[in-house]
Amino acid sequence: MERALGAPKVAGSKGERARAVQSASRSRWGETETVMAARRLNRAAGTLAASVLVDSAVEHYRGSFKNKAMFTPLVVAGLTLAMSLHGTADMRPVAHRARDTSYLLAAATGLLGTGFHIYNVTKKVGGLSWQNVFYGAPLGAPMAILLSGLLGFCSERVRANGRQRPRRVFNLPAGETVATVTALGLLGTTGEAGLLHFRGAFHNPFMAVPVTLPPIGAGLLAGAVLNGGGRTRRLARRWMRLLTAMGFIGVGFHAYGVSRNMGGWRNWSQNILDGPPLPAPPSFAGLALAGLASLELMREARDA
Amino acid sequence: MSDDPRHAPRARHGRAPDVFRPGGWVSMKEYADHETVDFVIVGTGAGGATLACKLAEYGFSVVALDAGPYFRPLEDFASDESEQTKLYWTDDRIVDGDNPLQLGSNNSGKAVGGSTVHFAMVSLRFRPEWFKARTKLGYGADWPIDWREMWAYYTEVEQALKISGPVNYPWGPPRPRYPYRAHPLNAAARALARGCEALGIGWTETPLATLSAPRGLAHPCVYRGFCVTGCSTNAKQSALVTWIPRALSAGAEIRDLAMVGRIETDANGLAAGVHYHRQSKWHFQKARNVVVAGYAIETPRLLLNSANDKFPDGLANSSGLVGKNLMAQANQAVWGEMDEEVRSYKGPPSLAITEHWNYEDEGKDFFGGYAYMSQGPLPQLWANTQATAHGLWGARLVEEMKRYNHVVGLKIVGEMLPQEHNRVTLADELDQYGLRIPRVTYSWCDNDKRLIDHSIAFMSRALGAIGTKNIWVQEDDTCHLNGTARMGDRPDSSVVNADCRSWDIPNLWICDGSVFPTVGGANPSLTIQAIACRTADRIRTLSRLGEIRLN
Ligand SMILES: Cc1cc2nc3c(=O)[nH]c(=O)nc-3n(C[C@H](O)[C@H](O)[C@H](O)COP(=O)(O)OP(=O)(O)OC[C@H]3O[C@@H](n4cnc5c(N)ncnc54)[C@H](O)[C@@H]3O)c2cc1C
Ligand code: SF4
Repeated sequence: MERALGAPKVAGSKGERARAVQSASRSRWGETETVMAARRLNRAAGTLAASVLVDSAVEHYRGSFKNKAMFTPLVVAGLTLAMSLHGTADMRPVAHRARDTSYLLAAATGLLGTGFHIYNVTKKVGGLSWQNVFYGAPLGAPMAILLSGLLGFCSERVRANGRQRPRRVFNLPAGETVATVTALGLLGTTGEAGLLHFRGAFHNPFMAVPVTLPPIGAGLLAGAVLNGGGRTRRLARRWMRLLTAMGFIGVGFHAYGVSRNMGGWRNWSQNILDGPPLPAPPSFAGLALAGLASLELMREARDA
Repeated sequence: MSDDPRHAPRARHGRAPDVFRPGGWVSMKEYADHETVDFVIVGTGAGGATLACKLAEYGFSVVALDAGPYFRPLEDFASDESEQTKLYWTDDRIVDGDNPLQLGSNNSGKAVGGSTVHFAMVSLRFRPEWFKARTKLGYGADWPIDWREMWAYYTEVEQALKISGPVNYPWGPPRPRYPYRAHPLNAAARALARGCEALGIGWTETPLATLSAPRGLAHPCVYRGFCVTGCSTNAKQSALVTWIPRALSAGAEIRDLAMVGRIETDANGLAAGVHYHRQSKWHFQKARNVVVAGYAIETPRLLLNSANDKFPDGLANSSGLVGKNLMAQANQAVWGEMDEEVRSYKGPPSLAITEHWNYEDEGKDFFGGYAYMSQGPLPQLWANTQATAHGLWGARLVEEMKRYNHVVGLKIVGEMLPQEHNRVTLADELDQYGLRIPRVTYSWCDNDKRLIDHSIAFMSRALGAIGTKNIWVQEDDTCHLNGTARMGDRPDSSVVNADCRSWDIPNLWICDGSVFPTVGGANPSLTIQAIACRTADRIRTLSRLGEIRLN
């Protein structure tokens, strides 16, 4: 993750770029933490984008791409993923125009997608009913690409701080801002998981895990923002690691869920569509990675 | 497995089929014929299987016999309507009256698990007032059971079957949340919903006994819609995959392909056991108590066929009511075509329902109520319907079947009133076991006809309101048989008491749809199972009080 994947492009004129490249190689120690923090956020945004990419591919394939707009999240999430990989590899302390654009595009897609999904649900007979929020277009799903875009955009802002302390995004303290976005994202994603696990009647007790651990994580992040003590941050950090693990272990549980459908994995082409979505749980991991990045930013800002 | 469960019994040698594992077996306790068991139960359907399970779990020794085969749904069920007629009770019967019933596919099953193996899974509670229909609503007869007690037993059954239902049920007093969530609606169900919204009445997702999420080794529903020909995924929570496995693990014995021909009574006029036919021979199983749970036709038939010197009119028949007050439920439909594709056969057939006319009494010119549901006829059934209702054949039928994907329909389950002349008697003809076959006499009364007319007019409006074309009415159909051994408060006006215990022979019980004094406008199986749960609890209580024969 820490290794640069070739020379990335940097926003700005030729001269600026040359200086940026120089500074990246010369005066590392001043900006290293800034770049590290930004790359962590790129990584978080990328994890979320990967989850969205696969999830929307499966779900919209299931919906036969009835509407051409259903290709949008695939393209945008793919692009966001690529840009995030690029950012994760990029060691330079300067924001990058293409990454910026694609992150903004992702956020806009998330908002637009949410609109589409709300329209899809409310136009069905019964309107905003349990039936339609269970089985219509998932209201919360496009939020994941919005979050990916937001985190990525924050990442670029963090990077742009260079050696400046404390780091800021949108003129707000960086760590606190990212932590707040992450906490809200965790709560929203919990809502989504809660809704779908309620649809599955919590038939397996483990289905309660992703609706209990993440809100606690959100609370710990909020605690870290509000009281800022080292102890809270350390606990929050451990919790974020737990959530990262949960996000990946969740795929295993969902794979088990797929196996419980008629025909099991032998009938994978049908059951991957009908069973619990394999790519969904890692969106928690993506958010938890963002949480870790935000805690690091707060530590550096406060303990420095 | 190459063995045909219709020819040789499977539940033998201390083991029974494991319905969840292809080729698998579970161990089964076995009793010898000469061992006197606490309860022998005739029939393993909604009533018999539930009772067998509960009694075995309460520690009684139980043998439950069924005339039908022990199927393995994962292996024995084909997605083929003709093949699956093997689930129906198609033994000879004679039907007459003004409106002779069509027996077989739509009303009776012959299998371990009974009719629930091919039922449509609609799992409704009765409207509370129906339990006091005579006093509160002015028709039919009162039940000897209070609705509040039933409400608790309904909950027990809904939990046992993991019923998938709406988050909030719009009619009747509050009920606990259904254990599983409702299934996604298909286009046919959405058509029902749009019709209801157009006419300003409520609708909801139908509570169904099929899984919307995994349960143990049972898979969730795959929405292929073969439900009424048997479910090959075990999503359907029939008695075969719910109560029966529980009964086996609690120590009950299930005897498949075992047709009971006669109940024996002893010198004291008590039931002593049953004569049954299995593997080409007649056997006699001794028992301290006999429970009859053969459904509304076979139950009275067995009681009547068991007549002896002491009980010349048949067992439990001092009131003369055995076989009387047979109630079918009206099952009329309105059909039409939509411009867009509906493919109504996708998914369980009745995903959406309105019980509006069960709970609304204003504006009715008849007693009783009806629910109506979306429909999903399978192709062969639909071709049959077209052939019989419209006389289509050959090229015209083929032409009509091209519209099959556009067909949409609504069908009622409507209350029919109890009438003594609607009844089961014995004909002189004999069946393959040498037993007198039943004669089933049925005529609609004026109230039945008014209810049917009301429902047809209303459903036609509902279909019309959503732009359905070529609307037509299917007038002659009935489903669900009940009555024929009604429960009540008095020996002269009922066959059994509230505990399903016969007034005449204290160790003879009847526990199935026969005991219904009225049927309401709701599918009966949930009520049958709730009554069986209550009966089991009452038997346990009575046995503690020493009021039951157990030695
Ligand atoms: C196609 C269809 C769809 C249905 N859909 C629904 C629905 O959606 N919802 C609902 O609530 N209900 C539905 N029903 C009705 C429901 O299945 C029955 O009401 C219920 O199963 C009746 O329970 P029971 O115990 O009285 O009889 P059954 O379940 O029919 O069980 C009777 C058993 O007794 C056995 N038997 C009978 N006589 C003898 C004998 N002499 N010896 C040995 N065994 C004997 C039979 O083989 C049978 O297995 C449907 C029925 C059918 C046929
Ligand atoms: S639609 Fe569902 S309940 Fe019906 S047969 Fe198929 S899997 Fe079973």
